Amino acid sequence: MTTYRTCDGVRRRDFLKVGVVGSLGLTLPDYLRLTEAAESKRTRRATSAIFIEMAGGPSHLDTFDLKPDAPSEVRGKFRPIKTNAPGVEICEHLPKLAEVADKFCILRGVSHTLAAHQFGREYVVTGNRPLPSLEYPGLGSVLIKERPGPIDMPGFVAVPNTAQRPGFLGVQYAPFSTGATPRANAPFNVRGITLAGGLTVHEVERRKKLRQLLDRAFHGYEDNDQLLEGLDSFSERAHSIITSPKARQAFDVSKESPAFAKRFGTSSFGVSCLLACRLIEAGTRCVTVSSNGWDTHQDNFKKLKENLLPSFDEGLASLLWGLEARGLLESTAVFVTGEFGRTPKINSRSADGGRDHYPRCMFMLLAGGAVRGGQVVGESDEKAAQPLHEGFSPDDVAATFYHNLGIDHTKEYHTETGRPIMIVRNGEVIRQVFA
Amino acid sequence: MTVNRALVRCRILTTASPYRVSPVARLLSRPGGGRVVAGMAAACLLLMAGSGVADESIWPPITERFASGATDEVPHFQKHVAPLFSRLGCNGRACHGSFQGRGGFRLTLFGYELDTDYDALRDKESPRIDLQNPAESLILVKPTDEDMHEGGKRYDVDGWEYHVLRKWIEAGAPHEKGKLLHLKSLVVEPAEIQFRQKDETVRLRAVAVWADGTREDVTPLCRFQSNDDQVATVTADGVVRSLETGDTHVVVFYDKAVVPIPVMRPVSRFVGADYPEVDTPTHIDKLVVARLKKLGIIPSQVTDDLTFLRRISLDLTGTLPSPEEIRSFLADRSPDKRAAKIEELMETPAYAAWWTTRLCDWTGNSGTQLVNVTPGQRAAQDWYDWIYRRVEQNVPYDEIVEGLVLGKSREEGESYREYCEAMTRIYGGDKKASFADRSTLPHYWARRNFRSPDDRVIGFAYSFLGIRIQCAQCHKHPFDQWSKDDFAQFRGFFQSVTFSARGSDRREYNRLLQSLDIDPKNKNGGQLRRELVKRLRQGQVVPFPEVFVNQPKAKRGKQGAKRRPGRNRQAKLLGAEVVDLSQYEDPRVALMDWLRRPDHPYFAKALVNRVWASYFGRGIVEPSDDLNLANPPSNGPLLDYLTREFVRRGYDLKWLHRTICNSATYQRDWRPNETNLHDEKHFSRALPRRLDAEQVFDAVLAATADTKHNHALKQTLSGRAIATPGPGRNRRRNPLDYSLTLFGRSTRESNCDCDRSSDPNLLQIVYLQNDSDVLGRIRNGGWVAEVTGRKAQPKRDNAKNKAAAIAQRRAANLQKRLTQLQKQLRVVRKKPGQRKQAIRLQRQVTQVRKALADAKKQLPKASSKAESELKWSLPRAIEDAYLRSLSRPPTPDEAAIATDFIHESKSPAEGIEGLLWALINTKEFIVNH
Repeated sequence: MTTYRTCDGVRRRDFLKVGVVGSLGLTLPDYLRLTEAAESKRTRRATSAIFIEMAGGPSHLDTFDLKPDAPSEVRGKFRPIKTNAPGVEICEHLPKLAEVADKFCILRGVSHTLAAHQFGREYVVTGNRPLPSLEYPGLGSVLIKERPGPIDMPGFVAVPNTAQRPGFLGVQYAPFSTGATPRANAPFNVRGITLAGGLTVHEVERRKKLRQLLDRAFHGYEDNDQLLEGLDSFSERAHSIITSPKARQAFDVSKESPAFAKRFGTSSFGVSCLLACRLIEAGTRCVTVSSNGWDTHQDNFKKLKENLLPSFDEGLASLLWGLEARGLLESTAVFVTGEFGRTPKINSRSADGGRDHYPRCMFMLLAGGAVRGGQVVGESDEKAAQPLHEGFSPDDVAATFYHNLGIDHTKEYHTETGRPIMIVRNGEVIRQVFA
Repeated sequence: MTVNRALVRCRILTTASPYRVSPVARLLSRPGGGRVVAGMAAACLLLMAGSGVADESIWPPITERFASGATDEVPHFQKHVAPLFSRLGCNGRACHGSFQGRGGFRLTLFGYELDTDYDALRDKESPRIDLQNPAESLILVKPTDEDMHEGGKRYDVDGWEYHVLRKWIEAGAPHEKGKLLHLKSLVVEPAEIQFRQKDETVRLRAVAVWADGTREDVTPLCRFQSNDDQVATVTADGVVRSLETGDTHVVVFYDKAVVPIPVMRPVSRFVGADYPEVDTPTHIDKLVVARLKKLGIIPSQVTDDLTFLRRISLDLTGTLPSPEEIRSFLADRSPDKRAAKIEELMETPAYAAWWTTRLCDWTGNSGTQLVNVTPGQRAAQDWYDWIYRRVEQNVPYDEIVEGLVLGKSREEGESYREYCEAMTRIYGGDKKASFADRSTLPHYWARRNFRSPDDRVIGFAYSFLGIRIQCAQCHKHPFDQWSKDDFAQFRGFFQSVTFSARGSDRREYNRLLQSLDIDPKNKNGGQLRRELVKRLRQGQVVPFPEVFVNQPKAKRGKQGAKRRPGRNRQAKLLGAEVVDLSQYEDPRVALMDWLRRPDHPYFAKALVNRVWASYFGRGIVEPSDDLNLANPPSNGPLLDYLTREFVRRGYDLKWLHRTICNSATYQRDWRPNETNLHDEKHFSRALPRRLDAEQVFDAVLAATADTKHNHALKQTLSGRAIATPGPGRNRRRNPLDYSLTLFGRSTRESNCDCDRSSDPNLLQIVYLQNDSDVLGRIRNGGWVAEVTGRKAQPKRDNAKNKAAAIAQRRAANLQKRLTQLQKQLRVVRKKPGQRKQAIRLQRQVTQVRKALADAKKQLPKASSKAESELKWSLPRAIEDAYLRSLSRPPTPDEAAIATDFIHESKSPAEGIEGLLWALINTKEFIVNH
């Protein structure tokens, strides 16, 4: 067991000593209370989340789970490099992430069985194996239900869009999709956020009051209809966002200090990460950033090396650095995942080789909150073809993510017709992540 | 067992007519009763099937026959062994059904490729069965977990499953490859379950009827699935348990059969004889109420005239009714005014435009996919125009589809040059020529996402069959009968059509270029295309891209003998026969003939279901493009009736619209009663739906436009969303496209109905509340000006704005100077002896005054004066605001609230503007109710 500081700066092992010696006069109940407080503080620190969706399914073998000793038809072209965390190695084309490896935890040997994009995606973003008859809510929708944010910021923002849907929780927990990605140093024009047409806040307030007085046709039926209920809640929220300057400021990445913004580079993923950081700072609870193009059936190595990895490396490394610099890393749970891994065996359909869908073995990254960075949890076999031991399911990782946010994943919701549904049905919290 | 309380009916899958055999079925359902009455049941089943020999008996279930190992029976691979693998879950995706296999053993996903599976069992490298030592076979020692099995224990040593597999191996693992037995039907009893209370149970029994007449109780070999486990659950042994009220289906799978069994529990006590009298003026209503009666759901009342008018205008024409229309409809006292309105609306341009838009959704008209299909990117517009003409003329649906399915660029007998000449006329500005004149729509085949045979099979199946066949591209469809083989054999119909940018007649193509003095070698693709567009504008005949049918080339055989062209070319229709393609110059003709068969299981049904879904927010089969055996309609007789009649009436689209819209079912109120509060699939009330993207855009346009413009919007459709051909390439730049994308207009990417979305989201509401487009339209759309007499503010025009600002500054300076001069003048006048100076000052004042007057003339007209008064009376203005947005007059309370608001506003114009804003932002506006 490693030692670490609790919130009040006393090392945990020291407690035992203190307890035994009793020089501080701590009683056993005192001690227990203190450790419990420490424990709960430690595990319920994150209040916001950033979710990076690597759409398409990134190759685990060429990023965070390299197998340099595997045969060449599996190993691929990339070599591992050392990181700033002892014993942790990642792909040579992720040099910036290697410098901040102490901030994130790599999960290897995550495994499921859904090899279609849509199903796999639904699985990883909900923590529940998709059912045809029921749509599970995405992690962000659950988060804003459990931890509503300030009303004058959209609680759940997708840059530019996300696979997460509100499912049976209802449309009021749907993400606010920007529909576009911001550009470096340019004002990000999210339409509707700025007061348009010379209207004043006062006039908008008057109009809103009038609307409320007149919008009575469905009065009394809103609770029974998801559509009506959702429209009401969006209306309230839209009004708050429009009348407060906070959202406008936060969306405008050009307002960021140049020194800070520079680190994020100019790629759309990088600038999106900067936006995520600003939104979290302004009070948004959950931001998803999607990074596309990971479906490398063909020319896997070329695509990764030239396009995908450099911007991903720069963006994510800057995000982790930036969150820490702003003092937000402790309160922000970060979750990075694709919908599945890719086949260990390299196909030869293209000159450069490709890898196909492979849900049985994949990687995920966790950071922020109580996650202990600089470690690898879990392990895959010698060809990264399956977990070496038990492995983890997306359900487990979702449960762990919720745990990091202080949300009990076994909590039950009720669907419209009263059916009880657990937030995550089959998951177990992976304790090593926090160890 | 509470089966005696359940309504028991017996139905044969292959025959449509239900047959009551409740006493027998009841006996059968008793534990152990199966054998006693086996003979009787067989007789009964035979009677119903109307074939076979009477003295044949039903084989008892395999669980009994193989309870102990003491039997001489040899299990059959297709009948017993393969289904057992499915039942035990061996061929699931997580296990050996995975494409990578599991533990070195791979079965086909969900079974059904028997020979492949058989080979996997007999694999030379690692056989799964051991004929020498049957007991050592892996399929016996692994699943019993005697030898470590990753998938855990699946059955017991000495269990019936064990005996079945062991007996089969001991008999030498017989299986005749390439020979599939034909399962005639799977008879499941009871054929329908009606529960009364929670936790009641019914045991299902499934009898397989094979083509050779053998019948076997295969219940233990079936897989069972509940479509809604809130209503009912089903165990692996087929015991159905009742949970909540409502209805669903339990689906039984065996071999190729997929049999859905309706299960229901009424939501109220109003069932059967206790059901109240409900008016059912049309056949649709009778069929809907028949279903509701079983469920204890009482439908809502027929809605009032105003709600009806708004709903029918939106649904039938995608358009809000205008204030004049509403007034005259209310004033109309004739009893059949609703039917008359429906007829009237079907004659409007908006009807044609709206249903063209929907047909473009279903068939996949997308500018993005049609890039470079025609010069100048007009293909999407062509597609729209072509369909519009036909919807307007009410061309039968099958003929419209024929134009797509048999689409090719050249008319019959037209040479490539003649084709190019004709197209040049259409594109070159001949006002009388239109693409709609062409007899087919070749662009359907030219889309980028519709060029490979596989994509074509998938897209075609979505569009015209309403089925999702893509599963079968790689494996057996998990919920339907389609196998990989079906998919592969169907593909043959889609292989002979080609799109070529340079046409099919290369020589003529080059000649045309030569005559235009263009050398293609000097130009890249883009340059050449631009050059051709230029020439086209000048009226010159340019070569056009072409969709054509390849003529099979005569191939030489191995011996050099010339083979007959197209020999051995075959393709198989889905669920129907193999077609010899060599009989067809264009194999798509066979495809079209097949669609046209009066008893086609999908073609008309898919369309009818989609049209229904457009009116009710959900299909009779939902999702509306997912007709599959395991996803039965919520009201089968209703879908069958509409389909049958639609075909009988020659695929008459207007008949379909008329029939649905005139039903009481369509005209019901949205307000629920106690029994139908949760009903979303039996059409007992209108479900509030968010307006479709195009409707939102057009509704804002119409609500803010002045009376004259509003009228024009209905007549010419100019600037309307329903008149645009669909998503194009310059999506972001166009305000119309921004709004349509935001509100979920169909992306037309996959031909799936899910390409369109009507979910609300925050950004949409932000758009309505605060987007400059919407606010600008409210202020300057015309109506506010019409009411207040205020001129619409000039559009943002930078040059003009600049000029105005200069004039303003100049005027301000002059005013200042004038005030100064006048002050000086007053001072000077008081002092005697300064007359000369006074005159000079006076002259200056006159000059400045004149300059100021000139400068003021250049200022934008001051509006404060005009705004202080309204051109219309306030009550009239308020009523009009209501009619044009919510399609109803305000209540006295609402009128009073609006009046107060306007009085408290800075000016009446601002008040009117605020009122219109508020109305557009009510739920009532954005919801079709």
